[in-house]
Amino acid sequence: MNTSKISYKKPLLETPFHERTSEHCYANDWYRWAGYKVAKEYSSTELEYTSMRNTAGVIDITPMHKYDIKGEDAKKFINKLITKDITNIQSNQVAYGIWCNEDGMVIDDGTIFCFNENHFRIFCAERNLNWFSDTATGFNASVEDISPSIAALAFQGPLSCKILNLLKVENIENLKPFHFNNYNLENHNVTISRTGFSGDLGYEIWCDPSQAIDVWDSLFKFNRDYKVLAAGMNALEMVRIEAGFIQPNVDFMSAEQALRPNRMRNPYELGLGWLVNLDKEYFTGKQALIRHKEKGPEKKLVGLDIEGDKPAVGSVLYDNSKKNQAKEIGIVTAAMWSPVLKSNIAIGFVSKEHYKLGSNVYAEIYHPEELDYRKIWAECKVVKKQFFNNPRRNETPAFT
Amino acid sequence: MKKFDVIIIGGGHNGLVASSYLSKKGKKVLVIEKNENVGGLAEYAESLNCISPIIKKELGINVNNINHSNNIISLEDNQNHTILSDKNGKLSFVQTNADENDQKKFLSIINNYKLFSKTLGAFMFQKPPRVKSGKRADLFQLISMGWKIRKLGKKNMRELLRVIGLNIADDLEDNLNNNNLMGLLSHEAVLGTNLGPRSPGSILTLLYKQAINDNIFNLNKIEVAEYINQLEDCCNKNTVEIIKSSEVKKILTQNNSVTGVQLTNGEGFESKYVMSNADPKTTYLNLLGAEILDTDFIRRTKNFRNKGNVAKLELALENEININNIDKKMNGKFIYAPGIKYIEHAFNANKYNKYSENPCLEFYVNQKTLSANVYYVPYLINTNHQENEIIERCVSVLSKFIPDMKIVKQKLITPNKMEEKFNIAGGHWHHGDLEIDQLLMMRPFYGSAQYSTPINGLYLCGAGTHPGGGLTGINGLNAAKKVIEDLK
Repeated sequence: MNTSKISYKKPLLETPFHERTSEHCYANDWYRWAGYKVAKEYSSTELEYTSMRNTAGVIDITPMHKYDIKGEDAKKFINKLITKDITNIQSNQVAYGIWCNEDGMVIDDGTIFCFNENHFRIFCAERNLNWFSDTATGFNASVEDISPSIAALAFQGPLSCKILNLLKVENIENLKPFHFNNYNLENHNVTISRTGFSGDLGYEIWCDPSQAIDVWDSLFKFNRDYKVLAAGMNALEMVRIEAGFIQPNVDFMSAEQALRPNRMRNPYELGLGWLVNLDKEYFTGKQALIRHKEKGPEKKLVGLDIEGDKPAVGSVLYDNSKKNQAKEIGIVTAAMWSPVLKSNIAIGFVSKEHYKLGSNVYAEIYHPEELDYRKIWAECKVVKKQFFNNPRRNETPAFT
Repeated sequence: MKKFDVIIIGGGHNGLVASSYLSKKGKKVLVIEKNENVGGLAEYAESLNCISPIIKKELGINVNNINHSNNIISLEDNQNHTILSDKNGKLSFVQTNADENDQKKFLSIINNYKLFSKTLGAFMFQKPPRVKSGKRADLFQLISMGWKIRKLGKKNMRELLRVIGLNIADDLEDNLNNNNLMGLLSHEAVLGTNLGPRSPGSILTLLYKQAINDNIFNLNKIEVAEYINQLEDCCNKNTVEIIKSSEVKKILTQNNSVTGVQLTNGEGFESKYVMSNADPKTTYLNLLGAEILDTDFIRRTKNFRNKGNVAKLELALENEININNIDKKMNGKFIYAPGIKYIEHAFNANKYNKYSENPCLEFYVNQKTLSANVYYVPYLINTNHQENEIIERCVSVLSKFIPDMKIVKQKLITPNKMEEKFNIAGGHWHHGDLEIDQLLMMRPFYGSAQYSTPINGLYLCGAGTHPGGGLTGINGLNAAKKVIEDLK
């Protein structure tokens, strides 16, 4: 990392795309992510969101943490780290996984790229070097933080494959979901994976920081016909809620960062039980997870379909349609009005008695209206978190 | 593969106690010892104040006291040595340059500490309670601990709670003027720990050691070798199988449960119960393997403070040893730690992984031979000790008191050598520092207390468990009792 660029006056790092992102960022509205500045909003969050849902949007995800795991025991290391079994993973495949502490509480999630048996790369939102290094004790595997050496863009939207095709990225339409490969993009060797946060067709492009500006420019090359927009963190937040992806320290506290033990969450509470393989011989947290599974979750992170059109941001959830008889049963962690689904959606924790799909719960929404709050008692239906899941996302060859 | 009820890794003192107890209860026990002789680190123990009455009772072992005169001789550069004599636990001054007021205060401090360590001593020989277990027995034990402290009375309880986190230098400087007396008590507090007289918690280590040994000055009253012999006999009588000169390579497990052990020569033994007399780091990281333990647990294992800093020096001289200004017949424990400042300066080097330029010494003299504990000689990770230089420094200290030293034979056992010989990671006497966060139910660390481990059927019984080192045998006994309880 080039620390010489940081000073007390400029405490945040700039990503290799900064020359371009700062041009696009009319709002000059920046978000702090892992010591970098990335755009919160470029010009209009709604427009940026719409580009991701209708054409394609470009998001600077360089601040993602990237860790290289190398060595004879690299695969064994991953299998101790994450709750899922990756024994059968193939080269060029991507696995999504979570890792827990000894109490079976989720620390973070991430994507794991398999280059070969002895070389994996983990991408995640939070810093994990300490956890990974301690996990590597006893394995012939090295853990290296390579975050600054890779520049990354998410290129998400229904036309993303078409535009890559126009850029003559050969055979990109045949890249299967959760796979990656090396491609030639306008004479630059880049790695492209078919992964992303949008719940739609989309790619993530990984390149050397020196190629960053060229790669960025190429994605906007066909903008006369296909309006590709740079999208900020606010727009990303919208698509990820629609897709039902959860985020550490937003929807749940990372077990490494939570100060209050009862704020930690296990995978079953987060609805990620499908990522836990208790048949695997050993991984951190297995004994605790066996107990958690047996007991069943006390509360669960679910999707909520809410009546009306006022987003239930930060709302408390209740069990009764009559306010004076209602008991508190949960809380909303993320909420929005979904333009594409034309519905009022949210993700939130709901207690044991009410987390079954189809249950009715009630949210008290404080809707700000010109320096006053309108309090709305809104009925919500418990639904699957994945509100938006376009079949395009999983089709191969991809939509062009 | 041969099958046993219980396999014990390491024929150290605690391993022998555990195996004797288990075999007395009719279990088929195997002890595997790396060295040619059992006893482990007890080989280097110069002094043993008493054998715990519980061990005496449970195993029927009794070793007679040696009729040594029990003197503590604190050496002073100006040859005005202080001599204290200990008669059945009663201390009195034989010779000193301290004024009467200081002498009185010194004895009253010791009496005070004795009272406090008695309070601590009540928990010393029990299995420590498990916090948050929800079991009634654990809760009662916690309450009784609190009650014992409350029973000291308002004034004494307040005093105990005041000094328990304090450094010994502050307490002594508040009460005494004589440097030599302050050095003497500071020495007892910091020997075998990673503390200096000004490190917080150094009073607690003194109280704790006193509670273990039943005496503030750990005197040489029991022949350690004889004690170990008796323990070995006790094992043999009860048909414990002891394999010597064999090293365990791996503890075998399946599905989070122990299945047996494998030796370095490839031989294997089967058992559902394995007790490890090795220190926690060696047990978890080498014998068991980090790859089957939770990451948080590995973190705690790695963070266990186990850096030894005492070396053993053995010297043989040409002539009989006479100490300046000390009567020839006068024998006992000699201490050279002439003041708080001197010890603290010696400790400064230890902070930076260097041995002290002017070391502190505790030694016993036997005609022509001298055997000393030297500190601070810290355990080094990547470099080797300049042994000759350390010996030179010790000799230059000794030569202040012993005229015409002609050395015939010299041997220095550094913490690194102890690690190599006894497989003790860090070469620490107590397998790990006796400090407030590594004591009682926190010893060695959370997730491994009460002699149990995260692996079913694996137990710790070494000095790394409660109540720590000091040849009490309580670790081995309590661990064996726990195994018996679980075998039912």
